[in-house]
Order: sequence, then C-alpha cells, then structure tokens
Amino acid sequence: MELKGRVWKFGKDVDTDELFAGRFIMGGDETSKSQYQEFIARSGLSDVGHRENIPGDFLTKVEKGDIIVAEENFGIGSSRQQAAETLNFKGVQAVVADSIHRIFFRNFWNLGCPAIDLPGISAEFETGQEIVINLRQGTIKNLSTGKDFEFRLIIPTWFIDMVEAGGLIPYHKSLKS
Amino acid sequence: MTLVEKILAKKAGKKVVRPDELVEVSVDRAMIHDALGAHTIARFRELGVKKVWDPARIVVVLDHYVPNKDIDTAKKCLNIKRFVIEQGIENYYEVGKGGIAHQVLVEKGHVLPGTTLVGVDSHTTTSGVVGAFATGIGVDEMAVVFKTGRLWERVPGTIRINVEGKLRPPIASKDLMLFILKRLGVSGALFKSLQYTGSTISQMSFESRMVLTNMAIESGATNGIIEPDRKVVDFIRARTNHSFEVIQSDPDAEYAETLEFHAGDIKEPMVAVPPKPSNGVGVTEVEGTKIDQAFIGSCTNGRLEDLRIAARILKGRKVDKFTKVIVIPASQEVLKAALAEGLIATFVEAGAVVGPPTCGPCMEAHMGILGPGEVCISTANRNFQGRVGDATAKIYLASPATVAASALKGKISDPREFFREA
Repeated sequence: MELKGRVWKFGKDVDTDELFAGRFIMGGDETSKSQYQEFIARSGLSDVGHRENIPGDFLTKVEKGDIIVAEENFGIGSSRQQAAETLNFKGVQAVVADSIHRIFFRNFWNLGCPAIDLPGISAEFETGQEIVINLRQGTIKNLSTGKDFEFRLIIPTWFIDMVEAGGLIPYHKSLKS
Repeated sequence: MTLVEKILAKKAGKKVVRPDELVEVSVDRAMIHDALGAHTIARFRELGVKKVWDPARIVVVLDHYVPNKDIDTAKKCLNIKRFVIEQGIENYYEVGKGGIAHQVLVEKGHVLPGTTLVGVDSHTTTSGVVGAFATGIGVDEMAVVFKTGRLWERVPGTIRINVEGKLRPPIASKDLMLFILKRLGVSGALFKSLQYTGSTISQMSFESRMVLTNMAIESGATNGIIEPDRKVVDFIRARTNHSFEVIQSDPDAEYAETLEFHAGDIKEPMVAVPPKPSNGVGVTEVEGTKIDQAFIGSCTNGRLEDLRIAARILKGRKVDKFTKVIVIPASQEVLKAALAEGLIATFVEAGAVVGPPTCGPCMEAHMGILGPGEVCISTANRNFQGRVGDATAKIYLASPATVAASALKGKISDPREFFREA
C-alpha cells in the first residue's frame, strides 16, 4: 500500500489542545457523519498563527492527500480523538514523526490513517517536498531529494488491513460478515 | 517481570511478556465521561451491536461540562443517560453524585489492584495508584472495547522512578512530580510505564501518590503505577467487597531504566512555567509574577489533603481583590468531608468561589476560561498554550500550597512563609 503526498513540516511537541481546542469538544452532531466531519474539520487548529510548531499557512493551504512530517513527540496530551480527526478531515492522509505519543498514534491509525514514528526523519524533509510511503515494505522516499528511509513499526498485524478497510470501525464491521 | 508486565501477561493469558511485545488483554473496567461519552456511543452504534459486552464493567461519570453549560452539552449528556439506562449500566454518576471520573473510579472502589482499566481520557493513568494497569484510549477504540471487552497493547518497558528521603512541607508530591518531569521531559517515557518506588513513595499518603500516577502521562508514558502496599489494600477493602490479587514486581524484574531522585534535592516549591509541565523552576525564580486567576482543584490536586493545606494558608485572610480564586473539590465525597471540617467556609470567607465537583478550569471546558493575556496559577496538570482558553493566556502549574499563597497576593508567591510562622 503506497501513499504519496506533499509534505507539511511541523515542529516538536505538537499537543492535542493545539490540534483541537477544548471549547469545541462538545460541538458537532456526533450522530450525523457529514455534519460531524464538517464541524471537526472547521474547528481544528484554531490557534494557528499563535504557534511556532505549525506553519502559519497550513490551514489555508492544506489539501487532500497531504502528509505531515513532524519533529519529536507529535500529539502529546489528551485522548480527544478530534485531534486526529481534524487533521484527517482537513485532508492529511498520514503523519510521519521522529516520535509520536501513544494515544494520538492509536487514534490516527484507527481512522485508517498511518502514523509512522522514525527517529531522525524530520531532518530529511521540508515543507513542499514530495513523500512516498510504502506501508507493507516499510519504506519512505523523499522524491525531492531522492533519499530512501526504512521504518519498522510496532503495530498489530491486522493494522494494514484496517487501513485498507478505512479505519477501526469499518474494519470491525467487516469482521462480522 | 515488572508489575505492569505481570498484569498484562495475566490479562493476556500468557506466562511471560516482554517490553514492546504486542498483547491482547481483557478489560476489567472501561470508563467514559461526558466529554467523549456521546462520541463513543455513536461509534458503538455504528458497529451495529445491540448490547455492550458487560454492563457491570462500565463506569460512566459526568464531570467536564456539568451542570450543562449549553444546549450542545445538555444534548450529549442526555444521549449518555439514555444509553446507560438502555444498557443497564449500574455505575452511573450524574452531576451531584460523583465528581471527577479519575477520583470517583478510585474512591468508589471501581479499580482493583492487578486489574486493567481503560478510559476515554488521558489522565486515566491516575488509577495506577492502586497497582492497576490504567490508561487512556480514543472513542473508536472504546466503542470496540464496549463490543469485545478486549484491547491490544504494546507492553511498555518500565522506567523506575526511585525517590528516597523526606519531603519538607509545604513541598509536596506535586512539587516532586514537577521536579521529576523537569528531568524526564514531556517525551521521556513514550510507550513506557512509570513505576514509582522508594521510601518517599511508601511514606506518602494515598492521595499524594495519585498526583504521581495522574501526571505520569505528562512524560508521554503509557501508564503510571505504584506497587500496592498496606495503605492501598486498606483503602480498597474499605470501599469494595470484590476480592483481588495483590501483584508486585519480581525481585529480578528488568527495568528499561532507573532514575534516582532525592527528596532533599527539591530545595523549594516548584512551578512549571508555560507552555509545558516539564518547565519546572523553583518558585523564587517566578515569584512576583502577576496573576489574574488561581485554581485549586482537578484530578491532580482537588482532594481533601489539598484543600486542607490551601485552607491552612487562606484561613482568616482575604484573597487579592483583583484575582479570581476558584476552589473545586474533586468529588462529592471530598466536598462533604471539606464541609464537615469547615474548609469550605474558610474558602468562602477568604473570597474564593467554590465550584461543584467537576473538572473546572483544568481545560477549556466549563467555567474559569481565560481571556487574552490572562495569567493563571493552577494545581492542574497541563499548561499547554490555549489549554484553558485564549492562546495568549498563560498557565503556571504548582502545588495547592503555592496556589493558595499566590491567591492571597495576586502574584506568584512562595508558600513557605506561611509555614515558618506556624
């Protein structure tokens, strides 16, 4: 399974409160998928501009299929799944980082989106470069520099199937049939 | 094996587990609260399952946005209540009956030594104080736990935090935790477990220990845990009739790392300056910083001993005229005890507002939200930028004693002066 996209470079310790502020947690109608997605996409990263670890033009220029490459400790903090959802609903298809916090790591995968931790990877990418990730082979390529990298994830074997199914909930629904 | 490895091995039905091994464990308790409960239920419904795997193992606590602050929060809480009734979930704590989930789980005896607990909240780690594996997960995973009663986990290697010596009051477990975080950093324990050991921990009260397991998550840890001793066993036995097994680490357990600390090295009360809990400095370094709000409460420091020490400082004095001082007991049980001891009267007479047992202004949820440029000193656990409101507001983390002393002067203050005169 291959993911290709344009890179957004984030800094270190991007926390869940910054990805999705507490004031929006109870917003959105969780029983209506389309309304919920629209609300979560719109409400995330509300403080960008005040932040040093997220590019100021991310919100206005992020596009479907983009990939975040971040420094260490991505997603530290709360279990609020909206922090992962808002990135996904804005179009981000994968996060690659030097290290990723456990809850964010699980939440992002559960949406069907790979979160890949590989120490040192952030130094190899800049915003605007092209990245290709091969999940089954465990490889990352920077198409702009031509450099290749290998990763080894500690994830359950069924995770790749889960990504192909579109996330944890669709995966579990498919198990039933 | 270490304590956490032994619990995970037992719950996975294996003889031995190793750090970073993937296991599937049975879940003994699952907690949802109002902030993410309705989301969990919506995802559970999506799975197409009619009944949860075991209603007796689920605990539901309303604590973030109650009494409901608007129509959205009221609607979500109503959805939760309907689900609780439909599924026959007995352990339901409406506002006025429980308090903050992490406090309620422990004080109602819902978490037993040697068991597993998951909650839709990162501070679920708090319950590790009883010697349980307690950790946070997102709502999709909780929906699956509701269906299956099982969870996959990457066995965390154990970082042993060994602390020796005596803390000199008013230096308390919060100061110790900020001191530990200063060394460990906010990513020092990613996919690891923090196990606290040593004479300082064994001498510490049960309540004080909860500060350490609560804030284990701030180092990035999967969980925080302490081996259950007599204090823990007595505490649990007084609260539940369920039997349990006390599990300890093996004498030859292998730790990923051992960090040694000496209580005597903490020379003064600690304050974590924004925007990270690991930014600890001695209080004298930030003394005099003007504040707009002082908050005593949260799952970190809203317990009886916290209110006692704050009341000792505030008794017979008035808080600063321009400072909003908010005191929130962590649970109804804490509130009841504080009322009986006259602590609540002390707070009210001092000019503090006392809120109902909820999360309060620990996060940007309900009550006590900060405006542009405001400065708050708080006994809570996170001081991320924008955590409690406007992105330009600043949050300093400290112990109840330091926050109470600061409330009197309207600026960050050293609580030791109130202990010298005693």
